Amino acid sequence: MIKFILRRLLLTIPTFVALMFVTFIAIRLVPGDPVEVRTGEHGISPERLAYFRHELGLDQPIWKQFLDYVWHLLHGDFGVSLSSNEKVLTEFLTLFPATLELSFAGILFAVILGIPAGVFAAVKRGSWFDHTLMGAAVAGFSMPIFWWGLLLIMLVSEGWHLTPVAGRIDMIKFYFEPTTGFMLIDSLLSDQKGAFLSALHHLVLPMIVLGTVPLAVIARMTRSSMLEVLSEDYVRTARAKGLSEFRVISLHALRNALIPVVTVVGLQVGGLLAGAVLTETIFSWPGVGKWLIDSIGRRDYPALQGGILLISSLVIIINLLVDLLYGAINPRIRHG
Amino acid sequence: MFNSSLKLAASVGLAAMLIGASAASAKTLVYCSEGSPESFTPAMNGTGTSFDANRPVFDKLTAFERGGTNVGPGLATSWDVTDGGKTLTFHLRKGVKFHSGVNGFKPTRDFNADDVLFSFNRQWKENHPYFKVSGGKYDYFNDMDMPALLDTIEKTDDYTIVMKLKEPNMPILANLAMDFASIHSAEYADFLMKAGKPEQFDQIPVGTGPFIFVTYQKDAMIRFKKNPDYFGEKALVDDLVFAITPDPTARLAKLKAGECHFAIAPRPADLEEIKKDKSLSLISQSGLNVSYWAFNTEKAPFDKKEVRQAFNMAIDHDAIIKEVFLGSGTAAKNLIPPTLWSYNDKVPSYSYDPEKAKAMLKAAGVTTPLEIDLWYLPVQRPYNPNGKRMAEMMQADLAKIGVNAKLVTYEWGEYRKRMQKGEHMTGQLGWTGDNGDPDNFFFLRGCAASKGGQNVTKWCNKEYDDRLNKAKSTSDMAERTKLYEEMQVIEHEEAPDMKIGHSIVFEAMRAEVTGYKQSPFGSHEFQGVDVK
Repeated sequence: MIKFILRRLLLTIPTFVALMFVTFIAIRLVPGDPVEVRTGEHGISPERLAYFRHELGLDQPIWKQFLDYVWHLLHGDFGVSLSSNEKVLTEFLTLFPATLELSFAGILFAVILGIPAGVFAAVKRGSWFDHTLMGAAVAGFSMPIFWWGLLLIMLVSEGWHLTPVAGRIDMIKFYFEPTTGFMLIDSLLSDQKGAFLSALHHLVLPMIVLGTVPLAVIARMTRSSMLEVLSEDYVRTARAKGLSEFRVISLHALRNALIPVVTVVGLQVGGLLAGAVLTETIFSWPGVGKWLIDSIGRRDYPALQGGILLISSLVIIINLLVDLLYGAINPRIRHG
Repeated sequence: MFNSSLKLAASVGLAAMLIGASAASAKTLVYCSEGSPESFTPAMNGTGTSFDANRPVFDKLTAFERGGTNVGPGLATSWDVTDGGKTLTFHLRKGVKFHSGVNGFKPTRDFNADDVLFSFNRQWKENHPYFKVSGGKYDYFNDMDMPALLDTIEKTDDYTIVMKLKEPNMPILANLAMDFASIHSAEYADFLMKAGKPEQFDQIPVGTGPFIFVTYQKDAMIRFKKNPDYFGEKALVDDLVFAITPDPTARLAKLKAGECHFAIAPRPADLEEIKKDKSLSLISQSGLNVSYWAFNTEKAPFDKKEVRQAFNMAIDHDAIIKEVFLGSGTAAKNLIPPTLWSYNDKVPSYSYDPEKAKAMLKAAGVTTPLEIDLWYLPVQRPYNPNGKRMAEMMQADLAKIGVNAKLVTYEWGEYRKRMQKGEHMTGQLGWTGDNGDPDNFFFLRGCAASKGGQNVTKWCNKEYDDRLNKAKSTSDMAERTKLYEEMQVIEHEEAPDMKIGHSIVFEAMRAEVTGYKQSPFGSHEFQGVDVK
């Protein structure tokens, strides 16, 4: 098991190096530099341009900039955002809890709804429920998040007044300083009556929007995996032993069917963060996705490099954990 | 599944509760803004979004009247102009308190001349202890040419500041009302420097303004509370909240749902809907900007006045305003927008007349087909929503008078630089006003700006330029107005460019908001604004 973990860890190193290089180069290929991009019609005098390029180290040869960047990274220094002058790591950690809270809610929503729905569809294969669910899953999977988010706001918030439009909490009624950055926890800690419910209420719509694609994927995956398992000999044997249908499905079939589903959930995390960029923009959710998009516009090299590297690291770690979890569920992989 | 339905059920109940509750706390004004500020020191910022977020906290020596461009007293109650306009003596307001209790800072003295010196020297003197704090970008101080204008700033006593200029310049009084000239507390700066955290100076602001800073959560919200000791027009609400809402559709939805009282920049496509909604109100004004099509007067045939006039007549102006601005722009005939003082409404517009244009070209000795280039804006600007579409329409119009225009563009920074060098024959550009002084627009056609500078027409006309310089150095408003009016007539006749349009800025708010005045600068101010 240790050997397995070590091997997986070693494999992530080249991925990190490639990531550092790609983020560094990609942002520099975009026309316009961080100094010039903030000037409007006034422009900037050549002297001031040269001064700021020097201050930011942009007058150095590109290979030296890259080595400096790597050197600082190795010392745990992600640099300072060019637009806010805050440390990139501090800025990331301030915004990341919001993204994490939303992503976690989204994936929870997808798992809690997706797995039972997939199981039910497999068990009732060919029924109207199965057909409806699979149709809905295709629609869900191909749903453009931006459109879906705005549609839900118009229907649910504007039309039926069921949820707030955007934000994380009712700003007119509640105000407290964040302690953890997770609004659900902070609102509980704040001791303000109704704050937690308000935070929860604000989470509903973005959670549904972000969870839609993974929900569709998980439901479909569970269904097909379940169908495969249900036709296995040991399921027939379990039924022949006279076990209740519930026991057969939940104990014998589901545990085995879940293996590919776990992989899919892990893979969805990457997609979830991509979806978070759009969801955060629509719902004014102050997370890292929106921050990264803004950083591209501002050519904020350190923020972009640091942000993408941190998020990618997270995706790599989650995939690693999924691999390990996979090993735990299926002993054959661990020993293979 | 069960868990999720529970949540949904809870939401339904809660929604009813919240909608009922929001009306009760009426003294909070929520403004749905567009984005996060760059910092809380206006001198370091460059966007309207940032200035809006800084402005509640600060005052300046002079001030724009709320909703206008006229300059009046601010932290200076009066000023004397002596030495032929080269010396300005400011008499400072007494008894003005800086905000107390922000970031653990309690001021021990009132505002005085040291705060003025600190605020300007920080941006000006490279050896100032705060010059390099937070990156030291003071774009506006430099963009407004302050280092070139200022000779010295000194205090003669605690309540008198003497500003000596290198040459007479009256528009500087308007510069001093701009956000970059906000007055900070020198005592707070010392306090933070001693505590070893000077960078907090630009993150947690202390000023004298109508609102006191409470908290800022990046990309989420900024919260201010009323400053009960404010010397000027007081805040009428207890709390002011900027709810940062980047998506315009979400902003409108929040406005309709009562989650905010005021929303910035509604989409043109939503205007009709807002007008119809009885719970909302919509106001509009032309923006402090202009878009124009510049003719490079150093390149033939644009060195001839008649050719430039003919080009002005060749373009179907109204069609461009209709098709490109889609209701969010008005046609321009002068370089300044109609909201600015000295706007000369007597100047006629060039009417669309391709036949006459053709005849004029012929009379000027231009043989057709004539090949020219037409540079179009590579980016959206406040004064031009779609440079390419506009250029295509112009190209089609030009074809009718036998002119073949080749469309050219570059990356924005490159585009500006090349046009300033004069590489183009004709090209689109524009301007957004900074300080509400006509000089801030008219300098764009001055001789000084034609040498590698902002005057991309490269037009240099003595009659115009003499008036420009004279107007800059006189403090007599009537005289200045007269000079600017004359300059608009000269410019119309000489036609170094074709004026295209001014944007129209819309503001949407809830019907219960009272006392709001739209600013020609496109800025947002909330003192004197109430929620009924």
